[in-house]
Order: sequence, then structure tokens, then C-alpha cells
Amino acid sequence: MDQFESVGITPGDRAGGTALEDPDRAPVVALVGPPNSGKTTLFNQLTGLRQKVANYPGVTVEKHVGRVRLLDGKEVDVVDLPGVHGFSARTLDEKVTRDVLEGRVAGVRPPDALILIVDATRLENQLMLVEPVLELDVPTLLVLNMSDELESRGGRIVDAALAEHLGVEIARTSARTGQGLDSVRAFLSRARPLDPSEPGSPRTLSNVPRGQSLPMLDAFAARRNMVREAVRVAGFVPPGPSRFSERLDSLFLHRWGGPLVFLAVIILVFESIFTWAVPLMDGVEFLVSSSGNWVAGAMPDTWLRSLLVDGVWAGVGSVVVFLPQILILFLFLGILEDSGYMARAAVIADRMMYRAGLQGRAFLPLLSGYACAVPAILAARTIEDDRDRLATIFVTPFMTCSARLPVYALLIAAFIPDEQLLGPFMSKRAAVLLGLYALGIIAAVGTAFLLKRTLLKAQPSSFLMELPPYRLPSPKTLALRLLDRSKVFLRRAGRIIFAVAIVLWVLMQFPRTELGAPDIEESALGMIGHAIEPAIAPLGFDWRIGIGLVTSLAAREVIVGTLGTIYGVETADEESVALQEVLRRDLSPGAAIGLLVFFAFALQCMSTVAVMRRETGGWKWPAAQFGYMLMLGYLGAFVAVRIF
Amino acid sequence: MDSMARALPVVKSAPTGGLGSLRLGDIPLRQEVELVSIDLPLELAEPLLERGLLPGCRICPVRISPSGDPIVSIDGSLLALRRETADCLCVRILSHLQDAD
Repeated sequence: MDQFESVGITPGDRAGGTALEDPDRAPVVALVGPPNSGKTTLFNQLTGLRQKVANYPGVTVEKHVGRVRLLDGKEVDVVDLPGVHGFSARTLDEKVTRDVLEGRVAGVRPPDALILIVDATRLENQLMLVEPVLELDVPTLLVLNMSDELESRGGRIVDAALAEHLGVEIARTSARTGQGLDSVRAFLSRARPLDPSEPGSPRTLSNVPRGQSLPMLDAFAARRNMVREAVRVAGFVPPGPSRFSERLDSLFLHRWGGPLVFLAVIILVFESIFTWAVPLMDGVEFLVSSSGNWVAGAMPDTWLRSLLVDGVWAGVGSVVVFLPQILILFLFLGILEDSGYMARAAVIADRMMYRAGLQGRAFLPLLSGYACAVPAILAARTIEDDRDRLATIFVTPFMTCSARLPVYALLIAAFIPDEQLLGPFMSKRAAVLLGLYALGIIAAVGTAFLLKRTLLKAQPSSFLMELPPYRLPSPKTLALRLLDRSKVFLRRAGRIIFAVAIVLWVLMQFPRTELGAPDIEESALGMIGHAIEPAIAPLGFDWRIGIGLVTSLAAREVIVGTLGTIYGVETADEESVALQEVLRRDLSPGAAIGLLVFFAFALQCMSTVAVMRRETGGWKWPAAQFGYMLMLGYLGAFVAVRIF
Repeated sequence: MDSMARALPVVKSAPTGGLGSLRLGDIPLRQEVELVSIDLPLELAEPLLERGLLPGCRICPVRISPSGDPIVSIDGSLLALRRETADCLCVRILSHLQDAD
């Protein structure tokens, strides 16, 4: 749950506040720019491994801050802001960028200097941010990124003329290859902490008058004319069309070829998650179990060993196993995004999504939802329309996330016979798994459809997607992103599962009997299970499953370890034959299907609820979502247990 | 849905008269046009304005997506729209085509 913290920020350290500033502190330089201008690539080139991810206080917009040590030993903090087209604060990203630049985020120091990075191949389009940024009156460097591409395609910019016209320094770079970074570093070395007590111009981004059409139009037209003039003075010759991009587009956006490639990409992603990840997951499992055995062997047989090995190791290990899957998914998403294909995929998906009440941009969050709903919900921030965004994040937890897999795997192995269904093509087990995935999609689409016709009644929304030229993703950026994700995932797994394991273990130790720990049915945990049994009896679940359902409120996969603990099975994982046998004894086949359906629908995930609260700004939506999904899960299980 | 759209103010640069009848959605591929006015409520028009789609700018439809939505080129960038949006953009055909180049 690292994502929900504000790291390294002292609350109340309000921007521009006290005069008692450390004059020797590292200056803060913010990176601003439109999406797809290479901001993050430049950031990674400058900071490398010396970066950390945090969140802006109060919102879950991620903040990447990295410290750059320059040749002369000087240090500068560089902040990567979200990519924006403007500062109207229509999206969360825009709002955060605006607030940071204006120094209005409590605890985040207003930048002492700015780097405005633009894609030089599309100069006219990209300079719309120049005017508002320069009005901040902070030392600014304009970075003309992708200038190697500009030159190779026959484009031209006279830097000196543009610099003089705008009154800023200019650097030419190719962030992907690392060209021109020295001039950026030279700018960084000249950055000085601004003295907040010094009276300067008030920091406000020139706002476009909103709410009235003519003044707004005039303001944009003025900005546009200013850009035209700058581009003319700079002698900008636009690059020739990128034949490479055109050729790829004529396949990827082809009438029939486009959807086929789209399908192939999705199949490839799934195949990799479920097939290629297996050996890696086996490897992780081996590491976890062998290290657990080592710890068990090295410790005396006390309550501490039982807590550590049976509780913590088993619990945390059952989650860490998913790391390879999540990394593979993020690797694919990273490649698709950075190469420019994701924008095309969104265009292809838009019509389909539109019918369900969503829009093309929802494709990325929903696809990410197959790994984990938490990053998926964060990915929905790019959706401009608030209703579309809410509908998207409301249905995202229906996508079959990887935490459901161990539960599905255990129950399917225990209750579905290993028989062929359609000749050699599909086994019954695979069919059930596929059915559960389909159930998630149907619930998501149906819910989106209902939402957009009731609570989030659609105003006519628009879909606008910029299609950047295709580019080779930077391996460094991909690698750093994966590293980021692993850290976030492991810390989250560590904290939640760790806490659940300890609470469970303690609840099983009391009330004490003369023989020590009580029978599980007599323990505090057992009492909890019995207390909720009446509610779940109609579904065919007994008190043991009840305890599993309660613990899985923290995270779905916890139920596997919990059932293992309750049944006293030594090695509880989804392949555990012993656990399968005792489950067959206590659950009817219908109830097992019911349990599967329950897990397909219900929102048993603390992290998702927490991230929903942050993203929607209150408890209303997460509460509604939790209630709705629980109800659907209960009804689904109720029906399933009577059918099967 | 429609009544809501009409209740909101609409972005128009100038009285367009009969000229506003030609819409971007009607324009064949590779025919460059000039944007005359945007017939959309403000909040839907703003993202267009931010990306430089302002009255007076030049737009050229370059591709049709598999779902039949237009992809246009503006200032050297490709932008995908929905046809519903394209049908709200009033345009004028530029008769003097190969002028600047």
C-alpha cells in the first residue's frame, strides 16, 4: 500500500511559507510537457535508479522524484509531472500539475526551475503549453526532444531564433538515445533555490476564462496565434511524414487487419501471463518454500516459529508467487504504451466500449485489471470525462485479477473432474476457468451499461485520442517501471498479508485451555465463523468457509492460506491434494461452484477499496461498489448452489 | 442526451450563416479543410481547443478507423475522433490547396 502514502513530505510544510529556508537545499526542478513528449524517458535518463515513487498528498496521482548528482557534486531534485495538454484542471492529472506548478500543494515545494519538454517533430501542436508556463516567471528550459527524428525526417528548427523570441533557453535532445543531455544537466547545475520571501509575481497559470464560449475561444485563439508566430520565427520546417508510422497504421488501423491484430495482441498478453509465467512462478514458489524450511530448521520450536513459518511465510509466500505474472503484464503494457500501439488499440476498442457506456481509453484500465485492479484504477486517470472515469473504475474490479486465480485453481482442482469437454480441445477445468473470466466481463459490461443509463447518465461525451508516431520503447524506462511495480507490489503484499496472518494466528490461540491453544472450532476465530454461518448457510457454506470469506476481505487469495490453517493442512497452496480432499468432504459441488461465482463478483480487496476512496474523493463510491459487488456475489452463489 | 447538449452554450467564432452546413464528417480523405466553428457544448469543445483544433486551423482527414471513425491530421499530429464529434465540426473546403508547399 505504498502507493497511498506521501513519502518524505512533512505535512504542514506549506509551499512558500516560512522564511527560515535552508539556502543550501537542493533546488527542485519540475518536468512539464504534453503526453508522449518523452518526459518520463528524459526523467529516467537524468535520475536512473535514484528515484522514488510517491503520491501527491490527498490524491493518488503518482509522483516520481529523483535526485540528480551533477559533475560538480551539486544535487538537484527533479520531479516528473503528469503529461498534460493544458491547465484547465479538467482531469486529475491536469489539476495536480497545475497545483504543483502554482505551489498550492501543501508539503510539496514549488519548483525553483522548470523544464518544458516538447516533441520537436510536432512543434506547432506542442507549444500550446509555452505561454502559460512562461507566465510563471520561473527559470525555464525548453527541451526540443526527438530532434534526431526531426532531422532524419528533414525537419528544421532554428533554435537561436526560437530562444530569442520566447526568451527561454533551449536544449535539443533525444532522450531515448541520451543525446543532448549535457545541456539539460548544465541547466540543472545553474538552478538555484528560489527565496520564497522575495516578493515575486504571484504564481498563477494564466487561466482560460471558462463557462463562456467567446472569451474562452479568444484566449485559446490568442495562445494559438502566439504559437504560430513562434513557429514562424523559428523557421520551423515540419518533418516529412513518417513512412514507417504510416505503413504500420495502414495495418493496425486497417478495416479487417486492425481488429485482427488487436485480438492477436490480447491473446498474446494472456498467453504470456498464463503460460510463460508458470516456470517463473514455480521458481518463486521454490524460493519461498525453501527459505521457509530453512527458517523453520534454524529456529527452536516455539510459538514464534509457528507464527513466522505457518503464518507469515505461508501467507506472504502465497502472494509473492504472483509477482512474475504482474511483471509480465506490466512489461507488455509498457511496450504497448511506449511504442504507440496502445493509442491505436484504444481507437479500435472505442466503438465497442461506447456501446457498453464506456470509452476507448477504458480499454487500458480494463486490460490491466486482469493483473490487479489497483494499478488499473490508477490507469483510468487519463479518461477526461468524469462520468466515464467513474464508470470505468467502478467496473474494473470485475475483471478477473490475478488474486482470484489461486482460489479458482484450488476449487477447480478439487471439484471439477479432469475430463475432456470438447474432444481434445478443451478440458472441463479449462472451460470452467474460461466461464469465470466471461462472468467477470459480462458483469463489467452489464454494470457499465446500467450505470451510464442511471446514476452516471451520459452527457454526450467525446473521445479524442492523439496517435503518436510509433517509436521503439526505451529498455531503461521499461526496466525502471518494472522495478517500481515490483517494489509497490511486494510492499503491499508484505503489509496486508503480514497483518492478516498475525491476526489470524492470534485469534486461533485464544481462549486458552489447559492444553494450550484451543481447538479451532472453540477459538475466537471459530466463534467468528459460527457467528456468520447463518448468513452464508443458504449458499451451502459452513463456518470454515465463513472464516475464509472474512479473511479474504483483506485480499482474495488469503482464503487459500486460511483454509489451509483451519484444516491444519501443512502445505496449503492451490495444488495441495490434502486440502482438496477435506474441501470435498465439507462442500457440496454446487456450493463449490457457488463459492467460485462469489469470488468472481465480490469485492474482497482492501487495496481496491482504499484506492477507490482516493480516486473518487470519498467513501460513497467504494461503499456502493462494495455493497453492489457483494450483493451480486451472494445472489450469484445463491442461484449457483441451486442449479448445480 | 440531445436536450442536454442544446441547453449548454455552443462554441462559435462568428455567425456562420449558411457556411456552417458542411461538416468534417462529410469530407473525403486527403481533402484539406479549414475549421469554421465547433458546434459542441463548451466542456466537450475544450479538449479540442487545447489540442489546437480552433476555428481557422487546417484539418485533413487521413484515415478511417475500423469502426468508421475519422482520424485527422492537424499540425503534424494525428488525432482520432468519433464521427459524432466530426459531425459537429463545421468546416470550409480550402480551394487553393497546394499553396504553402
